[in-house]
Amino acid sequence: MGPARSSGVGSGNSGAYTTEIAESLRFEEEIHSIVHPSLDSSPAAGGSFTALLGLPANQAVELLHETGPSEAPSSAAAPSPTGELWRLRLGEHAAGPLHLPLGCSPTFPSNAALVERAARFSVFAAEDSPELSSGGGPSPRLKAEPPDSDSPPPLPIPTEKTQRPAKRKECEKSKAKGPAKKSKSAEENTVAAPKETAAENTDGEKLPYVHVRARRGQATDSHSLAERARREKINARMKLLQELVPGCSKITGTALVLDEIINHVQSLQRQVEFLSMRLAAVNPRIDFGGLDGFLLAECGPLATANGRGGVALDPALWSSHPVTANGARWLPQPQIRHVDVWPTQQSSTAWTRDGAAHPHALLNPGASLFGYDPASSVSLNSNQLKTEL
Amino acid sequence: MISPSASSASSSSKKKMKQAESKWRTAAQERIYRRRLLEALRSTASGAGPRAVKEAADSALALTARGQSQWSRAILLGRCRPRRKLLLKAGGKVRRGRRRPRPAAPVSVAVATGKKVRDRLRVLGRLVPGCRQLSAPSLLEEAADYVAALEMQVKAMRALADAFSAASLNAAAAGEAESRVV
Repeated sequence: MGPARSSGVGSGNSGAYTTEIAESLRFEEEIHSIVHPSLDSSPAAGGSFTALLGLPANQAVELLHETGPSEAPSSAAAPSPTGELWRLRLGEHAAGPLHLPLGCSPTFPSNAALVERAARFSVFAAEDSPELSSGGGPSPRLKAEPPDSDSPPPLPIPTEKTQRPAKRKECEKSKAKGPAKKSKSAEENTVAAPKETAAENTDGEKLPYVHVRARRGQATDSHSLAERARREKINARMKLLQELVPGCSKITGTALVLDEIINHVQSLQRQVEFLSMRLAAVNPRIDFGGLDGFLLAECGPLATANGRGGVALDPALWSSHPVTANGARWLPQPQIRHVDVWPTQQSSTAWTRDGAAHPHALLNPGASLFGYDPASSVSLNSNQLKTEL
Repeated sequence: MISPSASSASSSSKKKMKQAESKWRTAAQERIYRRRLLEALRSTASGAGPRAVKEAADSALALTARGQSQWSRAILLGRCRPRRKLLLKAGGKVRRGRRRPRPAAPVSVAVATGKKVRDRLRVLGRLVPGCRQLSAPSLLEEAADYVAALEMQVKAMRALADAFSAASLNAAAAGEAESRVV
């Protein structure tokens, strides 16, 4: 069944991957050697692994060397825990980005195809462990394996680097077994690879690439992964827009949300138009000097009569207000008026104190207009009026 | 919020979006914009009409955006043709190597989205200035930035209009009081 499977896989890929096919054939031999305890043990396994992988000497290979001897003690159960361990480790690392050993990619004609095959095989890998371990113990051992198994370190190390070799190992084991149900982590791990390999296929150099993890039961095709990434981007932005526009969080469905957004934008633009009409109507009579309070952005519409720009005041408008530049006196009066006339607008706008510009004695009461004592201010005003006149 | 599947791709976009939103909501930005708004209003000829006021307000808004968004650049460049270079230089830290918008119109990008969504994306592109031929993700980003900016603009203009009318009311009342006292 090994050869049959491999040939099936080989036919699935284009004929260009001859080296891979050859490797897969070698895998089978490996598998046999591992599964049958009577065969060679570790060193041979390790050696053949490296031969199989055909990788130039790099860290991954060294790791493999390390793993080989320590891991594959000629027991049938050993490979399963390790493969499983790898899988679990890979699953752990699933949260973080998985980097393929870029340095070792150049020799592969098409990593995507390889990994796809690995994906297919890893599906079986999950089944392997239960089957293998059932021979050696209860299946809960699956989870207990990592701590218990004597394995090695290689996993903790950059599983990233060993990811592909790990897949290989899984393939090997799986080849020995029949078809199996999917294991989520395995699928996720292997599925993540095509995306990465597709990205790195372009050149063998280290590049930042998008890590996308396919969810369970989704296609692992590089095209669909790219499309999914794009869709995720769009969905992310849509979510943020939804938060921005009031009342959109309850709506489900992109079209309706977009409708709401469009309405909101149109209403905002209309408001701008109306406000500009109001401003245009008020404009001619404006003394821009008196608006420094407006810049303060803290007390709402009140802080208008600040005497700082007093010099530029239109005498007709402000004759009754002495331009003594002590804005403190004058603030209360309009403030009181504001309190009377526009009680609703006081808290509507959030103004912040402008640190540099004005004598802030005026606005010391801070955000609340009610900080002023209306009585005293009124008396002040009346006094000043008398003195001026 | 972001689905776990897209890790680094969406994290960068999420950062951008968060920036878009939070940058317009800060008080500092409000102050800056109000100053610019006042200056713009001062420079408009009085009696010029509401359209001039609106344009001035929009230009002030775009200036406050510092040319970092597509719509702000479109507004600024649309207003003053001959002064384009000046605006680019004087607008503060205008980003030079601006992100090249994908030439693909929303239609071709999102094959997965339905016809309705595509239509609405097109409408949205028409609403946001300068974003007609933008791809879906960038269009959405620009729209978020634009909505935040618009909200700030409305708030500021409303406050300004209220302040103006309050001031004129005050003046009128004060004039009345004066005449009465006298």
